[in-house]
Amino acid sequence: MSYSPTNATDLVQRRNSPPPRMGFPWGRLFHYVYCSLSYIFLLAPMVVVVGASLHGGEFYTAIRFPPVEPSLRWYGEIPSSQFEALGLSFLLAGGAALGACVIGIPAALGIVRARLPGRTFISSVFRAPLQIPSIVTGIAFLQLYYLFGDATGLYFQGTFLGLYLGHLFVATPYVIGTVTAILQRFDSRLEEAALSLGASRWSTFRRVTLPVIMPGVYAGALYAFMVSFGDVPISIFLTAPGFVTYPVELFYGMENDFNPSILASASLVIFFCLLVLLGMQKLVGLDNLLRSGSR
Amino acid sequence: MTIKRRKAATQGALIAIGLGVAASASAGEFDGVTLTIATWGGTWKSNIEEVIVPKFEAMGGKVEFVTGSPQANLAKLIAARGRAPFDVMEVLDAQEKDFFTTGDFIQNVDLSKIPNAEGLDDWQRNESRVASWNTQETICYDKGKFAELGLEPPTTYTDLINEKLAGRISIPDITSGGGLANFGAFAYAAGGDETNVQPALDLINKLDALKFWSRGGEVITQFQSGDVYAAIVHAGWCTRAKNAGANVTTAHPKINDEHTGVNKYGWLVIMKSSENTDAANWYINEYLDPEFQLRLATKAGVVPVNKEAIARLEEDPVLAEMLVLDPAKLDTQLRIDYSKADIASWNDQWNRAVTK
Amino acid sequence: MLPSFIVIGILIVASQYVFLKGSFYKDLGLGRIGDTAVLDNYIRFFTDPFYLRTLWITIKTSALAAFFTLLLGFPVAYLIARMRSRWSMLLLAGIVVATFVTIVIKVFGLIIIFAADGWVNKMLLGLHIVDRPYTIIGNQVGVVVGLMHFTLGFGVLLLYSVIQTIPRSLEEAAQIHGASRFRMHLRVLLPLSLPGITVGSLMIFNMCMGAFTSAALLGGGRVFTLPVLIQRTVMMEVKYSMAGTLSAILLITVLLINLLSVFLLRRFRTARLVVT
Repeated sequence: MSYSPTNATDLVQRRNSPPPRMGFPWGRLFHYVYCSLSYIFLLAPMVVVVGASLHGGEFYTAIRFPPVEPSLRWYGEIPSSQFEALGLSFLLAGGAALGACVIGIPAALGIVRARLPGRTFISSVFRAPLQIPSIVTGIAFLQLYYLFGDATGLYFQGTFLGLYLGHLFVATPYVIGTVTAILQRFDSRLEEAALSLGASRWSTFRRVTLPVIMPGVYAGALYAFMVSFGDVPISIFLTAPGFVTYPVELFYGMENDFNPSILASASLVIFFCLLVLLGMQKLVGLDNLLRSGSR
Repeated sequence: MTIKRRKAATQGALIAIGLGVAASASAGEFDGVTLTIATWGGTWKSNIEEVIVPKFEAMGGKVEFVTGSPQANLAKLIAARGRAPFDVMEVLDAQEKDFFTTGDFIQNVDLSKIPNAEGLDDWQRNESRVASWNTQETICYDKGKFAELGLEPPTTYTDLINEKLAGRISIPDITSGGGLANFGAFAYAAGGDETNVQPALDLINKLDALKFWSRGGEVITQFQSGDVYAAIVHAGWCTRAKNAGANVTTAHPKINDEHTGVNKYGWLVIMKSSENTDAANWYINEYLDPEFQLRLATKAGVVPVNKEAIARLEEDPVLAEMLVLDPAKLDTQLRIDYSKADIASWNDQWNRAVTK
Repeated sequence: MLPSFIVIGILIVASQYVFLKGSFYKDLGLGRIGDTAVLDNYIRFFTDPFYLRTLWITIKTSALAAFFTLLLGFPVAYLIARMRSRWSMLLLAGIVVATFVTIVIKVFGLIIIFAADGWVNKMLLGLHIVDRPYTIIGNQVGVVVGLMHFTLGFGVLLLYSVIQTIPRSLEEAAQIHGASRFRMHLRVLLPLSLPGITVGSLMIFNMCMGAFTSAALLGGGRVFTLPVLIQRTVMMEVKYSMAGTLSAILLITVLLINLLSVFLLRRFRTARLVVT
């Protein structure tokens, strides 16, 4: 278990020997300033978006920041179609994350553990969906569905399953990637030891392998969720009337016109995510979850 | 305005209920019919949802939308191998060849069921299509900045070639709604035409544009942020920029001796695979209703095709300033003849010329 | 593994088959294609400097975005991974939430921030770094910035999970033995996290190679990467064959770059083993 940073010896060592302090910690200060700059880069556009969503002035078709006469009026103007789209997006992204784990974990185990010829090739195939431009994936799936429908009479386009397959396709490589990254650093002798001590394959997986790869699984599932949730180019082709994902709704909502209620609903998503993350932290501890997962 | 829109929706619903009761004898004309419309999203769709949809629902039907630009919807149509996922579609003039020359996507409209089409010019209606609206493509410029820089109001595109405006101009990307119309207009202004667009590319490169816009909303934001002093947009965007607080107005560019101003228009067509033809013709008729045309004009800044509605635009001072409403002047606006244009080649030449 | 491989394999083969098969035919307009297989599209690509330049710009912007994402993301990932307070949770949440906001929305924020009289330009002008307002819209810098906004959140989380797997005790041991912070990073942290960093940066690079929204919105229609060109070829010209050719070339390029980096990494590690 030497790879789990929260194990007992590590904790003891950490408590007993604080890092040595030598003069003013310039390196540490530089590190903090540097990270702050990264955060400013990442978060500044969102500050503008949330700020502009509070603009309470007249209808203006353009983003205005800082807001004039701050108010929440645009939050009341969010059309119901955006909420419906949000519901579909959450369902789809959750499903894609789950499905990506079901497919991705065994795939990663296979890539790292199985001594197969052409492993590099197989892992490239698994990673391939990441290299196909999303717009091509969208059109390719749509054409595939029409072809399949012509042959069998079963049309997938505009159905949840059809959309789901497209999202699953792009989400799975993330789980494979994160789990592979962890497995490559994990000593397979631990598994062999467990097996030689008479543990079954399943219990070896559950008790030895799974705890180690859990952070990768959580991280991968999170990426899968985020990729699916943010996708525009695939969903454009696979959605149907009255059945639209949130980013597509926004994408087209902004094509002809711009309405601040878009900023308001984007801000709501931000707050909702923060709330979910804080809830997770309160219940299980998000940092612990992503950190070790081995409890 | 959006508050009004809500109120309008409620009123629409109330009217719908009223109609439902009053017309109960003929109610059910469209019982169980689901009409699917391919059109733009956002407030464009909202206009339809608030005016036309309640009437249709009162007659027993239901309306759904496939949102996207006409280009994107054509791509969906082609990907679907002609089995259109919609009944009625908004088409751009630039898609002339796709829909009316080589394509096999549409069925005829029934003009006898579209009495409102009688208010249209002859060229605006025939057995395959009916005009829906048009836009006036203009130079929208910041009056304050131009005065500050000591520049006269622009009258031609070449007036924008100026050191003081370098990097301060926004031009529609060829993939945007007005992209092809303006590109064609540039070609005419620079001495070319539909079959020779190279002069347009030379002109565009001389203009030193900051960017090529693909969403009108960006242009308005950039007028406000001071990034852009002049933009080639249709008058509707300029109106919205003005409403947003920018100090802008339109100039209808002089193209050549024959033409001043640029006109782009849209069509409504019924898809070949549609089985709801009665409902589709009914929808087109409602679209041409003067009240709805007027609403599109005031909300989206497009020009009605309905003459009665055009005449009433004079009452709106901002629109009267931004648009050309005099019928004689309207006739001199340039309309690109897309049957002569090879759009694929336009795109290819554009891509090569503008890449950085 | 086999079932997973079959599922993904079928999805890839089936979806790409229809599309890529078309890449060998001629476009006849309106999505129709010719009926004999020819190499015309491929020949056109490799003999036309415009397409070759597009490929080069795609690789360049993606590589730069991946590099800067690593540069900005690694210290953040390290900070969060090694933090012992509850703040780490907040910092993580910031990253996750930022990734949840689509670039379609963020681009409006970026326009305001980088506007001619926006904050960045005021600062740059005030510090006399530039003498006229600098814009990131409509050039390759903007595309790289847009791609970074797309990938930075992923990058940080990815690197975070890599650093998680490196026991803190190793670093502390190095410091106790008198290694400076910098030397510790160079000699302990970097080699240990290298496989993870490679996998991570390849994932980021791949994401960039396939991204079209950032390049389309921040390129201002002036920067053509392959995804942007593919989107235009499909949406505007409706040439499925040429688009298929472009995607096939994009796919092969990315696969080759991935294989090459994995190969180089192996060589590198073998070489190190020989030295030490």
